[in-house]
Amino acid sequence: MTREDIIRPENLVYGKPQLMNDVSMHYCPGCSHGVVHKLVAEIIAEMGMEEKTIGICPVGCAVFAYRYIDIDWQEAAHGRAPAVATACKRLWDDRLVFTYQGDGDLACIGTCETIHTLNRGEKITIIFINNAIYGMTGGQMAPTTLMGMKTSTCPYGREPQLHGYPLNITDIAASLEGTAFVSRQSVHTTSAIRKAKQAIRHAFENSMNGIGSNLVEIVSTCSSGWKTSPVKANEWMEEHMFEHYKIGDLKDTVHP
Amino acid sequence: MQGAIEINQERCKGCRLCAVACPLGLLDLAKRKVNRKGYPYVEQHDKEKCTGCTACAIVCPDGCISVYREGGLRRAKVPQQTTPEVFQTAYTESEKGNQLPHPEEAQSSQEVHLMKGNEAIAHAAIRCGCDGYFGYPITPQSEILETLTQLKPWETTGMVVLQAESEVAAINMLYGGGGSGKRVMTSSSSPGIALMQEGISYMTITEIPTLIINVQRGGPGLGTIQPSQSDYRQATVGGGNGDYRVIVLAPWSVQEMADFVDLGFELAFKYRNPVMMLSDGVIGQMMEKVILPTPKPRRTEEQIAKECPWATNGHGLKGRKPNILTSLEMIPLEMERRNLEMQKKYAQVERDEVRYESYQTEDAEYLIMAFGSIARISMEVVGILRSKGIRIGLLRPITLWPFPEKEVARLGKQVKGIIVAEMNAGQMIDDVRKAVCGSTKVIHFGRLGGVVPEPNEIISQFEQDFL
Ligand SMILES: Cc1ncc(C[n+]2csc(CCOP(=O)(O)OP(=O)(O)O)c2C)c(N)n1
Ligand code: SF4
Ligand code: SF4
Repeated sequence: MTREDIIRPENLVYGKPQLMNDVSMHYCPGCSHGVVHKLVAEIIAEMGMEEKTIGICPVGCAVFAYRYIDIDWQEAAHGRAPAVATACKRLWDDRLVFTYQGDGDLACIGTCETIHTLNRGEKITIIFINNAIYGMTGGQMAPTTLMGMKTSTCPYGREPQLHGYPLNITDIAASLEGTAFVSRQSVHTTSAIRKAKQAIRHAFENSMNGIGSNLVEIVSTCSSGWKTSPVKANEWMEEHMFEHYKIGDLKDTVHP
Repeated sequence: MQGAIEINQERCKGCRLCAVACPLGLLDLAKRKVNRKGYPYVEQHDKEKCTGCTACAIVCPDGCISVYREGGLRRAKVPQQTTPEVFQTAYTESEKGNQLPHPEEAQSSQEVHLMKGNEAIAHAAIRCGCDGYFGYPITPQSEILETLTQLKPWETTGMVVLQAESEVAAINMLYGGGGSGKRVMTSSSSPGIALMQEGISYMTITEIPTLIINVQRGGPGLGTIQPSQSDYRQATVGGGNGDYRVIVLAPWSVQEMADFVDLGFELAFKYRNPVMMLSDGVIGQMMEKVILPTPKPRRTEEQIAKECPWATNGHGLKGRKPNILTSLEMIPLEMERRNLEMQKKYAQVERDEVRYESYQTEDAEYLIMAFGSIARISMEVVGILRSKGIRIGLLRPITLWPFPEKEVARLGKQVKGIIVAEMNAGQMIDDVRKAVCGSTKVIHFGRLGGVVPEPNEIISQFEQDFL
């Protein structure tokens, strides 16, 4: 068999998701945002929800998510995506409504909206990209920044006296009665990506079946903010991030 | 040879995550080569060894790699497909509640009720097909949320009522609800409205129609729970960032509180812009006779799709471009273009939507200008001064923006002086001065911090300055 025999439409087993358009993404090389975007685009199409989905973008690196996945989107003010999503879902209860937020957006300026939306059990999904840093504004300290980790606003490393402690908001989410499914995943290997996809799909299905609110955290890299290469960023994440942010389902009321 | 890959090298950013993922190590950066964006890109070597395992493509954040395998998807694991119909069971109720609020009342809609201004707003909202109310309690307007929760419209019209966790959340719920094409509203009082300014700014540039009610109280800060009009400037020139306007309606009676709900929604959707009803604690709390609007149903999905083709609700997505509501624009020229479009719209509003009411201005030698609750007191002032033989009239702006500039300019040439009565330190007076442009003397009467004046206070100020 030659290469030409194999490269045929009927033999295609994996490609860029159909809902993802050809616009080149603005993310830095190797950024986890891209992988999660692909998963979101794949799942919406696999669920046949193209005409029934409302996505809410954050302020942060994913502010332009609407440029890449061809569904209807609203771009929210910094931190307010869960409030925007709450109204969309309450007013359109047969729609798939999700937010896509970074750690600064979700766990700092928007903590209030995040907690209350989850605690009310809004039938939505929050996709939470935790890269332990403010990517978009150039690598400042985030609430999720690890102890000792250096950022542009804690250049000597995060220390408790000065900066307090890393906020594990996903653990808090799991303790709220309103949440149905809370999971923490990553997207640095093929098997991790498959699990992350299952988690997001499960969350989306819960949202559509009217079961509680759903949060999927993706422990992510930000090679630019971390000032390293994409490959080294993945290694650093495995070594340091997973210790504090443990991968796995924290709560699943559907398949306990 | 079992598999093959194609790499979109123009999309590649050279992150090398695929190279790490490939179990056979067949990928690496092309030596000393970059694509048109300036990124180094990957190449596959020993192509015949590729098994088409998809590992490289799965990890690629930019979706650059397509994988082909002998036998194609027949041999690959096919992702589980579903259709949205699966989920319909949970939502057969979705279009359910769309009855008229009170069928028996529909006939007797001319019936006169006695209620507070705040309560009238709640009744009017349900009756005029409002889809959702989102708000946070604050005096002196909490009766709006309280009345709505008592009336339970979600069981009749299907209207959503939600107590938000803050005013910040409430205004962003409006951003979401209005953006998806629904008729949504919130209400608050001065300190809460201050918190909403960010959201209002976002809704103007994204052209999201919503209704915001401010039942004003005295400030600054927590101030007092007593009535005030000190948010005039914030409402009419915009308290958030950017060059924007909201249409501002100033009711002076419980009847207008009820009527301006529907009018507010009509204007909001006509111009795709937030509308603010600027009321105050006097009108919110006072009991008065009111004829409630005739009930009409909420719009169906088809009607919304027709009226709001811009709305983000997924409707008909496969046959159109995605709808995106965003305020962010990286190219200044494009941002300028969007701003200019907004300004064009505002010019049209200024031309077509000015509303005011005048009393005995035809023969007036003096004019009193006032809006909202103090305009009622000013009516009494007109009566008392007329009985003393002074020819004075009242001009009451109903739209504070657009301001009745032409009528004020016209009267400015007719009268010897204008007294502007406000429950603030002099805010509307700036617009009056601008309109008359020096053609007549303009003086201010004001009580601050939540004090409601008596007619004789206005009269003594008038006599002191003009007689
Ligand atoms: C009200 C407001 N304050 C501050 C900003 C500036 N700002 C933009 S993005 C951002 C942080 C984003 O970080 P994160 O949510 O972690 O997302 P990431 O960029 O890392 O994906 C900040 C502070 C803003 N846009 N609005
Ligand atoms: S700054 Fe960080 S989070 Fe933002 S695109 Fe770059 S790598 Fe990704
Ligand atoms: S993973 Fe994608 S973007 Fe990164 S080097 Fe490979 S093909 Fe290029």
